Amino acid sequence: MRCGYGLAALPGSDARFFSPETSFLRLPRTVHPTRIKFGSFKVRAKIDEARKEVSFYELLGISETGTLLEIKQAYKQLARRYHPDVSPPDRVEENTERFIRVQEAYETLSDPRRRALYDKDLALGLHLAFSARRRYQSDEDLEDRGEWRSRWQSQLSELKRRSMNRDAGGNMSWGARMRKQREESSKEL
Amino acid sequence: MALCACSFPAIVSCCAAASEPQKSTPFASHLLGGSDLGFHPLLKLNQVKKRSGGVYASLSEGAEYYSSRPPTPLLDTINYPIHMKNLSVKELKQLADELRSDVIFNVSKTGGHLGSSLGVVELTVALHYVFNAPRDKILWDVGHQSYPHKILTGRRDKMHTMRQTNGLAGFTKRAESEYDCFGTGHSSTTISAGLGMAVGRDLKGERNNVVAVIGDGAMTAGQAYEAMNNAGYLDSDMIVILNDNKQVSLPTANLDGPIPPVGALSSALSRLQSNRPLRELREVAKGVTKQIGGPMHELAAKVDEYARGMISGSGSTLFEELGLYYIGPVDGHNIDDLVSILKEVKTTKTTGPVLIHVVTEKGRGYPYAERADDKYHGVVKFDPATGKQFKGSSVTQSYTTYFAEALIAEAEADKNIVAIHAAMGGGTGLNLFLRRFPERCFDVGIAEQHAVTFAAGLACEGLKPFCAIYSSFMQRAYDQVVHDVDLQKLPVRFAMDRAGLVGADGPTHCGAFDVTFMACLPNMVVMAPSDEAELFHMVATAAAIDDRPSCFRYPRGNGIGVQLPPGNKGVPLEIGKGRVLIEGERVALLGYGSAVQSCLAAASLLESHGLKLTVVDARFCKPLDHSLIRELAKSHEVLITVEEGSIGGFGSHVAQFLALDGLLDGKVKWRPVVLPDRYIDHGSPADQLAEAGLTPSHIAATVFNVLGQKREALGIMSSRN
Repeated sequence: MRCGYGLAALPGSDARFFSPETSFLRLPRTVHPTRIKFGSFKVRAKIDEARKEVSFYELLGISETGTLLEIKQAYKQLARRYHPDVSPPDRVEENTERFIRVQEAYETLSDPRRRALYDKDLALGLHLAFSARRRYQSDEDLEDRGEWRSRWQSQLSELKRRSMNRDAGGNMSWGARMRKQREESSKEL
Repeated sequence: MALCACSFPAIVSCCAAASEPQKSTPFASHLLGGSDLGFHPLLKLNQVKKRSGGVYASLSEGAEYYSSRPPTPLLDTINYPIHMKNLSVKELKQLADELRSDVIFNVSKTGGHLGSSLGVVELTVALHYVFNAPRDKILWDVGHQSYPHKILTGRRDKMHTMRQTNGLAGFTKRAESEYDCFGTGHSSTTISAGLGMAVGRDLKGERNNVVAVIGDGAMTAGQAYEAMNNAGYLDSDMIVILNDNKQVSLPTANLDGPIPPVGALSSALSRLQSNRPLRELREVAKGVTKQIGGPMHELAAKVDEYARGMISGSGSTLFEELGLYYIGPVDGHNIDDLVSILKEVKTTKTTGPVLIHVVTEKGRGYPYAERADDKYHGVVKFDPATGKQFKGSSVTQSYTTYFAEALIAEAEADKNIVAIHAAMGGGTGLNLFLRRFPERCFDVGIAEQHAVTFAAGLACEGLKPFCAIYSSFMQRAYDQVVHDVDLQKLPVRFAMDRAGLVGADGPTHCGAFDVTFMACLPNMVVMAPSDEAELFHMVATAAAIDDRPSCFRYPRGNGIGVQLPPGNKGVPLEIGKGRVLIEGERVALLGYGSAVQSCLAAASLLESHGLKLTVVDARFCKPLDHSLIRELAKSHEVLITVEEGSIGGFGSHVAQFLALDGLLDGKVKWRPVVLPDRYIDHGSPADQLAEAGLTPSHIAATVFNVLGQKREALGIMSSRN
C-alpha cells in the first residue's frame, strides 16, 4: 500500500495495481489520433530511460521456449524475492523496480497473444519494453479505430445508396414484397 | 501518506501534457482517503471532463467504489427509456458511467452476471436512446447482459432482488416486463426470434424496428446461422448486433490464464477488426464508380460491391453471403459512434437484414473484472472497492469438481478416455481435466449438437468419450443423442451436471427433463448418484460400459461429506442393482439421485412419530433393479418413488414395471413424488424445493397421507417453518 503511491508517478509502470494497457487505452477517449501520438511519445521517452535492455526471458531466467509452468514458477520465485513488503528497507526502491519489471514480463509472457507479439519483436532485434510496446499497440489500436470510423461511415453511405433501388426490379424477395404491400396500403389510407 | 500527496500532482501534470486539459483539484482530495487506490488516479483523471458547474458524477468520482449506493443524479431521473430522449450525447456518456457504477453496486449486493453487463452499458444506452422500446423490439441473446437494460426499463428499484425468490429474473423474461420481448437463457436464439418478430410485423403491416443483440460466443452455435440464412432469404428489415468481445467459452481461460477463444470464427472476426483497408484501392474504387456513375447505376453498384468484397475482411463476406449487410467494426464503448450508426440505420428505409459488428470489452470499466481471467462473468456478492468475492467456505467441494477429479483418475488409468464440452470449461469442471490432459479435452464452442455427434464419431474409433453437458443444454442435442448415439448403440457417456432445480438461474437452466428423455431410449443406461462417493463409482461404471451409451446426472451444489474412494478412483457398480440404506417396514421410500438425501431426512423426521421407513437408493433408472422392487412391493404396504425430475422419469418406469409384473394387483400402494407440472421460478434452492414440494417434510407428509393419517400430515407441514 505505502509503496504504491510513490510508484504511481510513473504512469504505466505500476503493474501491481493496474494493467498499463487498460489505463492507457482509457486515456485518449475522444481525442484525434495525432493528439494521442504526441502524448504517448512523451510518456514513452520517460519509460524507455527507466528500462534496461534485458529481455523478459533473461529477466525471468528462463529459456525462450519456456512453458507456461516455467514462466509461472520463475515469476513466483522472483516476485517473492523482490516484493517490496519483504525486502530489506534499504533496498526497497530497486527491488520494487525489479518487481515491477518481473510483473510486466510475466503479464506479457503468460498471455499467449502478447507473448507471440513480443517474440516477434524480439526476433526483429527490438526489445521494446512492455509498456512501450503497449503504447505502440494502443496507438495501433487507436489508429485502427480511426480506420474503423471511416470504414463504417462508407458502409453506411453504401447502405443508404443500396436502399434506394433495393425493392425495384424483378425477383423480389419476400421482404420486398411485404414492404411494397405496406407502402401501397398506407398510400390508400 | 505524505508520499501519496506528492505523487498525484506529478501524475496530473504528466497526463495533462498527454491529453486534453483536465481539472485536477477536485480529485486529489477525494483520492487521498481510501485504501488500495494505487491504480485509481489514472483511471480517474482520464474521465474528468471540463464542467461548467452543477452536480455531476462519473464512475471515477470519489475514487473508490462505494459500499453504499453511488451518486447517480442523471440516472435517478430516468425510469423508462422515454425519459432519455432529450439527453445530449454528452449526457448520455454521463448516464453510461452512472449506469455502470449502478450495475457494479447492485451486483455486488446480490451476485449475478457482472462482466457481460459491463461490456454492453454503452450499447444499451445507445439502443434505448435511438429506438423506442417497447414498440421497437430489442432482444438480448442469453440475457445475462440485460442488467443495464432492466435498470433503464423501469426495474431499477427491484435490482436488489435480482435472482432471488420472487425477484427479478437473471435473464430476460416476457412475464416480467413488456420491455423484455423474448425470454432467453440458452444462447443463439435471438436472431431466430427477431426474424419471427420482423416477419410478424411485416404481415401485420407495421413499421417498428427489431434489434437482436448476440455475442460472438453465441454466434458459434448453428442456430444463429440457420437464422441468418433464413433472414437473408426473406430479406425482412431487421438489425443484428454482433457483440464481439472475444469471449466464447465460460471462462475464455483455463485455470492458468487466458486462452484464445475456440473456433475458426473468432479468428475471422479478429481479422475483420485488424484488417486495414487498402485505402488506395478504396479510392480507386470510388473513382471508378464516379466515372461510371450517372446512368449506369447497376454497373456502378456491382463495382462497389466487388471493391468492398476485396477490401473488407474475409469475415464480412461470410455475413454478406448469408444476405446480411455488414457494418463494422464499431467501437462498442463509444456512444457517439453507436448513436450515429443506429440512427442512420434506423432512418434508412428498406435495409433488409443488417449486421452491425460491435467490439466491446467484457468487464469494461471495472478494473478487477477487466484483469480477471474469467472477466467476472458470474460472481457472488463482492466488495466493490477491492473486487473480492464473498465466497462461502464449505467443507465439501461441488459435484462438478468431484466429477472432474473422478474423470481425471479414470483417464490416468485409461488413455482412451477423452472429454468433450460445449464452451463450459468452468461450469463442467473440465478445465481441471484440460490442465491435466490438454490433448484429450475438447471445447467445441456453443454447439451441443455437434458435441454429441462428434463424441459419436470418437466412439466409432474406439475412444471413450465423456460428454459433459448441462442437463438443460442437453435438450438441444436430443436428436443427436437418439439418432447418432443410441440408435447405433455407440458407447458415448453423458455426464449431465445441473440436474434438477438449480436455484438462482431459474427455469431456463433447470434440468427437469433429462431422466424422462434419456430413460425412454432403448439402449441407454441411466443412473444417478445419491452422493459424491457414488458419483466417483458411477464415473468408473460409465467408463467400463463399452457396448452401449450411458448417462448419469448430478445436481448443482456441494457434496454431503461422505468418504471418497482412495485415489479418487471409483469402483464400477453392478449394473441394474440398487442398494438398501435403511431397513424398515410398512413404507418404502425408493429414491433416485440426490432425492435419496431428502428421503433419509424424511425417514428421520418420521422416526419420532414411531415409523421406521425403508429407504432405498435405486441407483439405476435403466435397467431397473427388478428383484429389489419386487421385494419392496411384496413386503411393504406403501411404495413411494422420489426424484427431482418431471413426470415420465424414474417413477414412471417403476410404475410401468409394477403394472406389467402384476404387482399393482395386490395390496401395495404406489405413489410418485416428482416435480410439479409447472416451471419453478428462480430463487434460493431451499425455496425452490419447497415450491416444488420435494422437501423432506413434503415426503413425510405424503407418507402420512397415504397411510390415512391426515392429521399427522398436516402437523408435519405446519411445523416446517
